[in-house]
Amino acid sequence: MSVSDLPRKEVNVLKGHEGAVLAARFNGDGNYCLSCGKDRTIRLWNPHRGIHIKTYKSHGREVRDVHVTPDNSKLCSCGGDRQIFYWDVATGRVIRKFRGHDGEVNAVKFNEYASVVVSAGYDQSLRAWDCRSHSTEPIQIIDSFSDSVMSVCLTKTEIIGGSVDGTVRTFDIRVGREISDSLGQPVNCISMSNDGNCILASCLDSTLRLLDRSTGELLQEYKGHTCKSYKLDCCLTNTDAHVTGGSEDGFIYFWDLVDASVVSRFRAHTSVVTSVSYHPKDNCMISASVDGTIRVVR
Amino acid sequence: MDSDEDDFVFYGTPIEREEELTSRKKKAVAEASGHLRTLPAWKQEVRDEEGRRRFHGAFTGGYSAGYYNTVGSKEGWAPQSFTSSRKNRSEVKQQSILNFLDEDEKADLEGRFLGTSSQFDTFGFTAAEIARKQAEKEQQQRPSVIPGPAPDELVLPATESVGVKLLLKMGWRRGRSIKDSHASAVYDARRQARRAFLAFGSDDPEAQTTDSQPTKSDIQCFLEQPVNDDVSSSKSTPVFVLNPKQDLYGLGFDPYKHAPEFREKKRLRTSSKGGPGYSKGFSMKDSLFGLKSGKVAPGFGIGALEELDDEDVDVYAGHEYEDTYVHEIEEPSKLSLENKKKVNLKDQGNLPGFRVASNSDYQMERFEAPVIPKDFVPRHTFSGPLEIDAKHYDIPPPEVPPPDDSNLKLLIEGVANLVARCGKLFEDLSREKNQSNPLFNFLLGGTGHDYYARKLWEACQKRNDQTKQQLDGRVPTASRAQRLTAENRGQILGEKPLERSFQDPSPSIASTDVHLQFNLTDTFTKSASFSELPELEKPFKNDPAKQERFEMFLKEKYEGGLRSTSSSLASNMSEAARARERLDFEAAAEAIQKGKSSKGSKLSTPSFMDFSAAGVLEFTSGGVEPKKDVQTEDFMAKKMYPKREEFQWRPSPLLCKRYDLIDPYMGKPPPAPRIRSKIDSLIFTSDSVKGTRMEDLVTAKKDISPAHQSENDNTNKKIADNETEVEVEVENVERPVDLYKAIFSDDSDNEGEESNVVKEENQEKKAEVANAALSRLIAGDFLESLGKELGLEVPPDMPYPTPKSMNPDPQKETAGANARNDNLIVESNGETSLNQRTVHGVGSSKSGPIYGSSMLESSARKTKGTSDTDAKSNKFDEEKDDDRKMKTPSTRRHDYSSEEERSRKHSRRRHRRRNSGSDLSSDDDRDQYSSRSKGENKDSSREKSSGRRKHSKHKHRRRDSPSSKSSRHKKEKDHADARREKKRRE
Repeated sequence: MSVSDLPRKEVNVLKGHEGAVLAARFNGDGNYCLSCGKDRTIRLWNPHRGIHIKTYKSHGREVRDVHVTPDNSKLCSCGGDRQIFYWDVATGRVIRKFRGHDGEVNAVKFNEYASVVVSAGYDQSLRAWDCRSHSTEPIQIIDSFSDSVMSVCLTKTEIIGGSVDGTVRTFDIRVGREISDSLGQPVNCISMSNDGNCILASCLDSTLRLLDRSTGELLQEYKGHTCKSYKLDCCLTNTDAHVTGGSEDGFIYFWDLVDASVVSRFRAHTSVVTSVSYHPKDNCMISASVDGTIRVVR
Repeated sequence: MDSDEDDFVFYGTPIEREEELTSRKKKAVAEASGHLRTLPAWKQEVRDEEGRRRFHGAFTGGYSAGYYNTVGSKEGWAPQSFTSSRKNRSEVKQQSILNFLDEDEKADLEGRFLGTSSQFDTFGFTAAEIARKQAEKEQQQRPSVIPGPAPDELVLPATESVGVKLLLKMGWRRGRSIKDSHASAVYDARRQARRAFLAFGSDDPEAQTTDSQPTKSDIQCFLEQPVNDDVSSSKSTPVFVLNPKQDLYGLGFDPYKHAPEFREKKRLRTSSKGGPGYSKGFSMKDSLFGLKSGKVAPGFGIGALEELDDEDVDVYAGHEYEDTYVHEIEEPSKLSLENKKKVNLKDQGNLPGFRVASNSDYQMERFEAPVIPKDFVPRHTFSGPLEIDAKHYDIPPPEVPPPDDSNLKLLIEGVANLVARCGKLFEDLSREKNQSNPLFNFLLGGTGHDYYARKLWEACQKRNDQTKQQLDGRVPTASRAQRLTAENRGQILGEKPLERSFQDPSPSIASTDVHLQFNLTDTFTKSASFSELPELEKPFKNDPAKQERFEMFLKEKYEGGLRSTSSSLASNMSEAARARERLDFEAAAEAIQKGKSSKGSKLSTPSFMDFSAAGVLEFTSGGVEPKKDVQTEDFMAKKMYPKREEFQWRPSPLLCKRYDLIDPYMGKPPPAPRIRSKIDSLIFTSDSVKGTRMEDLVTAKKDISPAHQSENDNTNKKIADNETEVEVEVENVERPVDLYKAIFSDDSDNEGEESNVVKEENQEKKAEVANAALSRLIAGDFLESLGKELGLEVPPDMPYPTPKSMNPDPQKETAGANARNDNLIVESNGETSLNQRTVHGVGSSKSGPIYGSSMLESSARKTKGTSDTDAKSNKFDEEKDDDRKMKTPSTRRHDYSSEEERSRKHSRRRHRRRNSGSDLSSDDDRDQYSSRSKGENKDSSREKSSGRRKHSKHKHRRRDSPSSKSSRHKKEKDHADARREKKRRE
């Protein structure tokens, strides 16, 4: 994919959130997107037509992260109220609430089969919750982090968490092993490459770092943006050719994956870009910002 | 209302009254249950739950549904039967709504269905379809001789389309063409005339040229002809094949598909067969419209701007020869009116009074194929190769002194450079151009040729080096072509062009091989680590061979690859030299890596330069430390991170299950819990100091207690002493309980316990403040002692004076306890000499020159050097003011324990507890002691009273003053001293 194919033109602006939008995520096939924010709601959108479809209200505090199952039937969300909500997408009802985190919950993800929700909390733990049974107790608590866990990624066999203590820890369920990659800088957000070989970690020293998962080697560093105090998302494009991420000055940056040069940057928002999500197939991305909008860029 | 309806909430006012409703209900119930049941079915009426009669179709008059409101009918109702057996499978019927409708309902619905009407079947497709289906059906019903369905062509629709109908209405009849009957009639007449003409002229072929002259009469004749023309019947238009197949090629095969010019050629050939006189416009014609030369008889053509059309074909179908012949003759005779080009389209449509233009603008220009020169060789030769043929310069031309003429020299050099850049072609060109110019004689072998050759070679070398085209001249042409393609490919793929800036002084075969490898690896792997190397300075520039080996080493290091060359390269070296060199290389590579990673290659160049300068020295001698700058540190930081660690981690079985994985720890016992880093730091960093201190405290106490015991042996014993001792013992006993509590029980538990203890000891104490800290302290203590037991290394403690003083102190004390009464000087001497702090506590108090006593003079002398002036001044104040005196020890203690500020809270807590136990005794003693020490100096008679008074006054203040752990030791010491004092007093 060439640089000219990178999304640049704003197609739609999704307005509706009151206050900051903290996360925006495409669903599995990229037809819809979910957003959540300070206004304690989760919203479902059709970003391509710019339509607001549904609002999910139940959280008592800000909603920090949301994730949807591959079959689009269930949602999970988490936030400042220390709970993980398990939603039914169609009815908009909360199926279950998972309590147990001792602090705010920063990130939440479904596993591949949507049978487990893994959440990352301010209480320095990762917790795995069972969606199949009616138990609301965590299946497992991983508490080897020494600071707030900011982000979590799941593969078929692994749980990967990034923490403010500067480590990216991979918990391999199949092998029963924990691999800790210390980056020396607080890790804000981690994101997997689409081929699953690398991890992109956004650090609070305004640097994105690309790690080889198998060796733990630092492959590349991407600089130029500002990320010093907010939790800013980053991700790779669907072809893994570029790295993208928001900046605290409202810009969205694109780096070349290999030579780490900034190939594109444009102002998308007036304020901090909290979250970016790249379409799984098309050259399209959404970005969420503190200014309360979600923008669809193509 | 019913009780079960209480749950509902009703809005608004009910309209009907209750009694009405209930009465009706009752009635309904009664009717339903009573006599109605006895009635025959057809007499029964359907009523709703409220007793109202139910009507269907209330707006259409009302009727009762079904057969008296049943689903049955008068005839009865039989369900559809369904039987299916293995032999006789019943088909699944596709049901539609029509299956469930009555006839009348169907009739109702009739008008609402969408269907096709044959009325609007313009093209007859639907009719044809229907007809075909009909035919099929018929064919199925009565099998005919011909098996299979009837061909479509045979089955024609029975209906006529609207168009046909319209035409029929307009007078058209079947089998006729739809063209203008009159015009065609005119044309037909003309044809007739032509035929007559043909008959006339056929017997004299030679006369055709003469006949070709148009005659007025002919035209007249033609013009008159149409008049007496009657309506001739024209057949309906036959299907006309535009390009009939006339060749022997396969169907659809066009031999000229990709070479249309040959088609033209062939046409030319065929047309040239025709008469030279008549073929002028022919080719032009043919080129415009499709080739019909097959139709045209040899020897004749059709006139310019004329075309064979259907009429012609029609007419001359049988006798083509005559046809063309007549045409030719006729052609000029035809007036402009007869322009055949337009005839095809507008023959019938010419307006009267208008005529078609005689010459059309529409003419296509056609050019002959270019004449190929005789000496043309049908093989492409490329213009001179880009690179100068370096074969000539395989062996470098000898160094030649430049010609005297500086102008010529400049010219030669310029030309050489140009030639090197632009290739041999330029040389040839300039040679050709400047044959007559004497200045350019050097090109032709004149003066300065040698110099030119040399310069050219140099320029070539330089250029080759620059572009890394090292292989020209040595590799055969074929491989060069190959390489070029590879380069092209690289360019296409956007690969990094290979840069090589350094000059190879004497390229050998081996080096080219190496370079070739480099090229290859660079092109293919594009290794970031290595491709940048040539841009960097060479660390071993002065030794090309070594540099080469170094590069090989780098290549191996970062890429692996062929090792045989390197071994062969270094084979002539001794083992030791090789090892040393390898070390050098390692260091150099490290430096290069560092330089690269710290800053780009640009910035690293100078740093590397000085490195390499110092590097050689360092690598050989190994004495000089490489320069450590910020970059290095940065690099070190980078090298440190990311840091990978591996731990064992046990996923829960349920998690494995949910992840659809096999539990890696299935059937294995749970692993020992990993010591978390937090605890690690708790134990080994911050708390280690406290821990050891506590340990020392314990030992000190243990040491003290025997001292007490020895004291107990003595008949002279104070209650206060006893209490202290008991307190110490209690603490020793109590400790493990505290420990376990601290470790294994909750904070709240602990708190309660602690507060209880505190209550026992002293109600005034606030336990809550320091509880947590205390428990941690004890835990640290415990773990530390545990570590000692297990033989683990306890991290070295910070230098702390107390233990040193404490350990010898009790020993001495025990010794001194026996001989206490005998000699106090010795004891005090020992104390001062033993410990600086004791000096502060005891010695300095006596060190004041004014108050110094003869008894303690020696100690004062000894401690004079060590005791600080602050202490002295403090002491001075102390002497002046009783209240102040109480504070000074604590402030001094501050000085001591400044590094332990953090732990003061815990120690205070401990201290308090200690205090609480021995409040009366130890504090008392201490105060007594301090007062005594002073009193000793001054007045022994006043001592007792003042000491008592002071103590009573400041007991509480003491408790509040911040004190460190050391204060406790001190107190103990003081305590011991006090005891001694007391003993002495008694």
